Amino acid sequence: MSLIEQGIGFGLIQASIIAIASVGFTMQFGIANLLNLAFTEVMSLAGFVAYATLSHSVNLWLSLIVAACVGAVSSLAISKLLYDPFRRRGAKPFTLVIVSLALNLLLQNGILAVVGPSFFTYPVTLGQENIRVLHARFSGDELIIIGIAVGIMLALHLLLRFTQIGRAMRAMSANRDLARSSGIPAARVEAVVWAISGALAGIAGVVLFLNVSTFNPATASSFLVVIIAAAVLGGAGEVYGAMLAAVIVGEAIGITSLWIPSYSTVSAFVLLVIVLMLRPEGVRGILNLSREAA
Amino acid sequence: MSSGLSIYIATLFVYAGVSIIACWGLDLQYGSTGIPNFAYIIFQAIGAYVAAMLTLGPAKHGSVITYQQYLFGARLPYPLPILLATFAGAALSVVVGPFLLRRLREDYLAIAMLVLSLIATVVTEADVGLVNGTTGIFNVPEPFGSLSPATQSWIYVGTVAIGVLICAAVVRRIVHSPLDRVLRSVRENEVAASSLGKNVRGAKLATFIAGNTMAAFSGALLIEFIGAWAPSGWEYAETFVYFSAVIIGGRGRRGGVAVGAVILGVGISEAVRYLPTFGDPSLVGAVQFMFIGALIIAFLWWRPEGILPERKRVFRLPDEAPLVEVESA
Repeated sequence: MSLIEQGIGFGLIQASIIAIASVGFTMQFGIANLLNLAFTEVMSLAGFVAYATLSHSVNLWLSLIVAACVGAVSSLAISKLLYDPFRRRGAKPFTLVIVSLALNLLLQNGILAVVGPSFFTYPVTLGQENIRVLHARFSGDELIIIGIAVGIMLALHLLLRFTQIGRAMRAMSANRDLARSSGIPAARVEAVVWAISGALAGIAGVVLFLNVSTFNPATASSFLVVIIAAAVLGGAGEVYGAMLAAVIVGEAIGITSLWIPSYSTVSAFVLLVIVLMLRPEGVRGILNLSREAA
Repeated sequence: MSSGLSIYIATLFVYAGVSIIACWGLDLQYGSTGIPNFAYIIFQAIGAYVAAMLTLGPAKHGSVITYQQYLFGARLPYPLPILLATFAGAALSVVVGPFLLRRLREDYLAIAMLVLSLIATVVTEADVGLVNGTTGIFNVPEPFGSLSPATQSWIYVGTVAIGVLICAAVVRRIVHSPLDRVLRSVRENEVAASSLGKNVRGAKLATFIAGNTMAAFSGALLIEFIGAWAPSGWEYAETFVYFSAVIIGGRGRRGGVAVGAVILGVGISEAVRYLPTFGDPSLVGAVQFMFIGALIIAFLWWRPEGILPERKRVFRLPDEAPLVEVESA
């Protein structure tokens, strides 16, 4: 029995990392209607910047904040300098996919050119002692990751539900034109969404690099499809859907890793292809997650 | 001319020819019909693997496994492996096509196919018995093995040239046919085409199969020349390079796509070779991809129709008055 619980526990950690990333990804899709395939490279960039600060004895929490800022600034820059001009021209969604894929290549290889092809590890260990929760063992790092994810989800929920900007974001995601005619400043809200989702990307990058034993410039991009899987499964653009889907995808990976370890991420890939082919809107509509009680 | 230089130039010609065939196939699918086939590289890989397995012979002799493991094998004389590999690509397309070619948002479909390509890479690497995993299949003997390397290479250039001519004839046949008009109508507005009674599904499946067959053909040609094929050579980014060639060269136009194929398939790899070495040798690959990424963004911004844009089609009525001018986007 404990093996399954170990798998579920492992899946929970995966779900935490995926949740932070896919919520950011789905926010970008919701606001701009584009699949930002360069998302993982923003994660990677922030992760490597955090590596630099950590190597200079800056503590983990401060490095997380630095990474979030790096992510926010770069995402804002990318949207303003690259995606917005193409969107203003009326580029088709597929063209934007190609552009974002090109940017992915640019950024990934740019990072590769700067740091080299070797593998790195974060010089941080926050408690190697194993804490047991119902037969599953978690190390200190892993509990921190889960804690960060839960904290972020809570903060996002409070933001979306109780702040004016959160309401504006939800309004724009639901019906952009109606939101604009209600007086919501679309460009400003968009910038906020890019900044927040960029910050999420930054944090996700650090958390990802913290979790894997070693990482190199290609590590983050191997995560891209898993993130897209969670975002699409949850309904593209739905934040709460992405949170739920992240748990589903994370557990799928965790449990598959018990039986066929080398195929664990493939389960997420297959899930994504099936969802895209059969029900592209994901779980949207089944659960009515973003509807408020009347 | 020294033998080494001669072989080098022959290699360039072979790569160029193979790239041209591969890009024409993709152009049939994406340029003419609008299918964003990001799983294209899988079919090139199928062609290469099948050709290799049919040249090397079975992996097991009795109960003894040779140093490479793969699913099946036969020692067939040239050019049978290439022909059968091409057929394998076509067969797989027939099986996979109906499932993949649904009416789906273009970017979703692209992602689904990209993910398929990833699944294929992961499965190949994980299941060593399939096609020898990460190591890949190697030591595939070149045809005409008894001749000197330089002569071999140039004869192979001839083989590839014949292949290019065959594919050019096939593409030309399609382009100057009613099928082509159906394909372009599907590309521009699938719903309108369907409402006119055109067999959209059939047309899409037909180009899907045709394009992937050319991919398999190019893969088979390539592996008979270079002798080895591993998953690292067909990552999903490779499809992107072919897409870049089609977009930069000019989608929907054979000559344009050929230009793009030569520039991206051969030009960039070779040009970077002659840059002064700086830093880590592995940087070269990184710089190549950065350049391709930047190039494609630049082209999409400033010249999305490509170097050689698609030709305007003029349909003349019998009394010589051009009533309808169709300019494709």
